[in-house]
Amino acid sequence: MSATPALEARQLVRDLGDEVKTRILHGLDLTIASGELVSVTGPSGSGKSTLLYLLGALDRPTSGEVFIEGTPISPLDDLARGALRGVRLGFVFQFHFLLPELTAIENVMIPMLRRKDIGPADARQRAVDVLTTLGLGDKLAHRPNQLSGGQQQRVSIARAIAHRPRILLADEPTGNLDSVAGEAVIDIFEQLVRDRGMTIVMVTHEASYAKRTQREIRLHDGRIADIVSHRVPFEPARHHRDDAAIELARVPNGS
Amino acid sequence: MRAQLFIAGRQLWHRKLLNSIAVLGVMLGVLALISITGIMRGFQTRFLDTILQISPHVVVLDTELGEKRPVIDLLLGDSPSATRILHQTPTDRQRRIARPTESARALSRLEGVEAVALLVVGNAVASAGSKELPVELRGIDPAVQDRVTPLRDKVVAGALEELGGAVDGAVIGGELAEQLGVAVGDTIACASARGERARLRIVAIFETGVQSLDKGRLYVTTRQAQTILGRGDVIDRIELRLADPERAPAVTARIEALFGYDAESWQETNSSMLDVFAQQNVITRIIIGAVLLVGGFGILSIQIMIVLEKRRDIALLKSVGYSSRDVLAIFLTEGAVVAFLGAALGAGASRILLDLLRGLRSASGFGYTKPSTFAIYERPSVYALAFVFAVVVGLLASLVPAWRASRVEPVDVLRGS
Repeated sequence: MSATPALEARQLVRDLGDEVKTRILHGLDLTIASGELVSVTGPSGSGKSTLLYLLGALDRPTSGEVFIEGTPISPLDDLARGALRGVRLGFVFQFHFLLPELTAIENVMIPMLRRKDIGPADARQRAVDVLTTLGLGDKLAHRPNQLSGGQQQRVSIARAIAHRPRILLADEPTGNLDSVAGEAVIDIFEQLVRDRGMTIVMVTHEASYAKRTQREIRLHDGRIADIVSHRVPFEPARHHRDDAAIELARVPNGS
Repeated sequence: MRAQLFIAGRQLWHRKLLNSIAVLGVMLGVLALISITGIMRGFQTRFLDTILQISPHVVVLDTELGEKRPVIDLLLGDSPSATRILHQTPTDRQRRIARPTESARALSRLEGVEAVALLVVGNAVASAGSKELPVELRGIDPAVQDRVTPLRDKVVAGALEELGGAVDGAVIGGELAEQLGVAVGDTIACASARGERARLRIVAIFETGVQSLDKGRLYVTTRQAQTILGRGDVIDRIELRLADPERAPAVTARIEALFGYDAESWQETNSSMLDVFAQQNVITRIIIGAVLLVGGFGILSIQIMIVLEKRRDIALLKSVGYSSRDVLAIFLTEGAVVAFLGAALGAGASRILLDLLRGLRSASGFGYTKPSTFAIYERPSVYALAFVFAVVVGLLASLVPAWRASRVEPVDVLRGS
């Protein structure tokens, strides 16, 4: 199991634009091991987000291939890619993308409701558990507009992990938060990797957050310019703990 | 489907005001469909019922069919020539139906014929005191005629049976009686251009509700009518009642072929009115279609707006595993729910409106019948039709926005944000 990388990119090329093609990624090779906390950094337009969307099967490469836990995604049609995202991946974006008409708990349940293997009662219980763990136990019935920015982002993290995916992809998850709320998000990521063996890839432009990840992949003009290893104060779990109780430290309210 | 239904429900509720407007549009469409149909068909149905009650289904007239060519044409044959007839004298021969009793017997054996009556019909003048009014005089056998055009239940004073026993008896339309200032038991005089003047005693007064009849018709016995009209023993009209009035045109064609006399179905007799109805129905359908279309456009524009506004939500749903079909289902469900709610409210409003209309007095129906209450046509089938129409319109209207929603690519939205 540990032999199969969580994510792998081979000769990844992505062009954007209809008439004038711009090459965003120039044949990128990358392997991310299971249980790794990795950051992707680089200046604007270096292809950070594009890489993340490709790794998350949200986008199709112009050429090259992406493997998610060994599964190549090019042969999959939209439906299969969607199903794969819904089961194996969790997403956190810069904007929380919470549905405004749903409460916090309903927003967290949305990905699970789509799945036939998780019943509504089970989905609700998991949503309650995750939200409580993330310090939102008293905000379950709140709507997004009744929550602070940090709380909204924590609800969106809860939505990304409640269905217990093995891989979490985060695109500038702290981009809209103040430093206290931002640090809290990184704390959660650390604990997910440490306690649940989750693989996390986070795009960020904040050097201080990148330093808290094991590896920092620096992109420049669609190529990997550098890969920097950081010393982290935790030992990642050896295996992904699928059904283990999430034992995250409580995050204080109000951030 | 539960996730899609759940999201659709929440989105609908979240946009209560906007969706209420869409519901209102559909409701008005359904209200228009049910109430306009109710009023139009109500009037038409009542009118036709009245017609079918008081007029015969088929009338055989005294006009012989077959081309009558001038003698000179026959002499010249087909050789090329031009003829012009000057000073043609009208023939003195009385028009009549030959051997009426045998004809009646033969007609009554035709398939679908329920009753046959022989009549003599002509124009006369009725007078009482100084008042004189033109009347259509009809000589009938009251017992037989009652089976063809039921008169007994239209009699408001006196008794139809008395006409049979009294040679000088007369049955008169209500409005005519009023204008002449006479009542049952009174005597009037009646004369025509050719026959004898007769004194008639009024034995019954009838009211059909159809003005032309109530105002101008006078029934006497056949014998009496022949005397007043100076027609000897002529019978010039045969009237028939059929088991199925809709078959009248077919029966008419058969009679013309068999007997060689001109015959007319009730549809032919009332063709101008039936044409008006047909045109009314076309106009009604156009109006209903237009109103429903407006309702559909209401859903369309509101849904397009919502889909534009919800691009981010759609992108999120797709990124967490929802398929294009799921998104399509969400927005189609919303359209269907709006249409269904609109249809239900429209049906409810129609019931109330039609009940209110039933209580109102309508204006005189085209001057043809007496003013009366609105006749309302209300059937479950009309409601069912309105429901089906509304839901189909709702689904069609939300198809385009829902399709656009399902085509949203999450990366496009994510890149743009």
